[in-house]
Amino acid sequence: MGIAKLTWLQIRVIVSLTLRETRMTFGTSHSGYLWAIVQPLVSITFLVFIFYLIGRQAPYGTSLALFFSTAVLTLEMHNKMSVSLMRAFTSNKALLTYPMIRETDTLFARTVLIGSTFVIINIILYGGLIGFGLADLPSNPEHIILAFLSALLFSFGLGTINAILYQRNQSWQHVEKVLARPLFFMSGVFYIPSHMPPEAVMVLKWNPVLHLVEWVREGYYANYTSQILDIPYVLSVGACLSMIGLFFERITRKSRV
Amino acid sequence: MIAFDTVTKTYHVKDIKKLILDDVSFAFESGKNIAVMGHNGAGKSTLMRLIAGIELPTSGLVTSDETVSWPLGFVGGFNGLMTGIENVRFVARIYGHDSDRILEDVRQFAELGLSIELPISTYSSGMKARLAFGLSLAINFDCYLIDEITAVGDRRFKLKSKKALTDKIRTARVIMISHAEKTIHNYCDSGVLLHNSKLYYYDDLKSLIKDYQKFC
Repeated sequence: MGIAKLTWLQIRVIVSLTLRETRMTFGTSHSGYLWAIVQPLVSITFLVFIFYLIGRQAPYGTSLALFFSTAVLTLEMHNKMSVSLMRAFTSNKALLTYPMIRETDTLFARTVLIGSTFVIINIILYGGLIGFGLADLPSNPEHIILAFLSALLFSFGLGTINAILYQRNQSWQHVEKVLARPLFFMSGVFYIPSHMPPEAVMVLKWNPVLHLVEWVREGYYANYTSQILDIPYVLSVGACLSMIGLFFERITRKSRV
Repeated sequence: MIAFDTVTKTYHVKDIKKLILDDVSFAFESGKNIAVMGHNGAGKSTLMRLIAGIELPTSGLVTSDETVSWPLGFVGGFNGLMTGIENVRFVARIYGHDSDRILEDVRQFAELGLSIELPISTYSSGMKARLAFGLSLAINFDCYLIDEITAVGDRRFKLKSKKALTDKIRTARVIMISHAEKTIHNYCDSGVLLHNSKLYYYDDLKSLIKDYQKFC
């Protein structure tokens, strides 16, 4: 087959799989999709409510909702990706009946689905905040987009490795849960990482999700400067994890089927 | 032609290593309708999956210049939560066919009536097999892989399936696993015997069946 034909086949497979995943994830009704959008909204509202109750100001800027959104959206997308990709191999065994579908295609399809869902969630949420006067327009939207794409790369890599480990040993799902739990506290959701004591920063700066959150904030706020954000670090972690993940997928393929 | 070049296939189940194919080089020549025989557990279904390209050999190479169906009679390719229509459209799309046309063909052949709008998990095994068979006929493969075609449906549907398959092999060919001599004589003109991890080719069905009865 020529390159053009192969590319067309690949696109066809991923589009069909994405449609199928959409159907599997959200069911037939549109309300299923609505719930996916409502979920981060609820988390953010809850955080705002708690901070309001204890009478705290936004750690940065004037809007609590905006400050939380910049972190929660990134973190929730990462968590969704990590868990969804982890189960991509095991919940799609039936697809291996069709020779043109490789297990990696299900990883790509799930990434496309979650990525596009979160594009919509981002637009609705920031649009809503701006509409209600709770946020200004982002100062550097291109940085938010780049941070979003890098988040996808990082979560894809980690999710792929999760998928391989989970397939080898199902108890990996419990380990993953334990490992992912501290992310909520380590990703700067309700504080400014640069203002943390140096000992804390020493630990926090290893967390790629924190870098991604800082990147989004630098993109949104005009004067937010992060002492932690290291773009080459987060990109290379994402690229390395993806390559390691895909490499192990390839070498274990024969023994897996 | 579907060619096996020094193909070895082994399985590891727990600590037991099972050798299915041992350094097999073989050509399933185009246009030949081939019966696959062998005793239970010899690895006939694995052989089919290797031909279909849904399983990789442990070593060696499988090449094909024909479009090959998934092994029929095996309905694992459907998603139980999706409806018949959704499953058909999905398969039509990945094979790059017009999903409306395929759906129309499948509706007519499988005769599932309104059930085609229900999730596959509500189907009986006969209904699933009818849908899978109808779908594979609609897609027009060069080569149909048939794993133990256990007759599905009532007498009328059996006759219809038989006629459809007979029509099909005028333009396509089959590679078929069967233990039934009559079925083999109906559809095949040559055969292979899978015995002790090797493939043996037979030009005529008589000697195939004779050896099958002798060794298996």
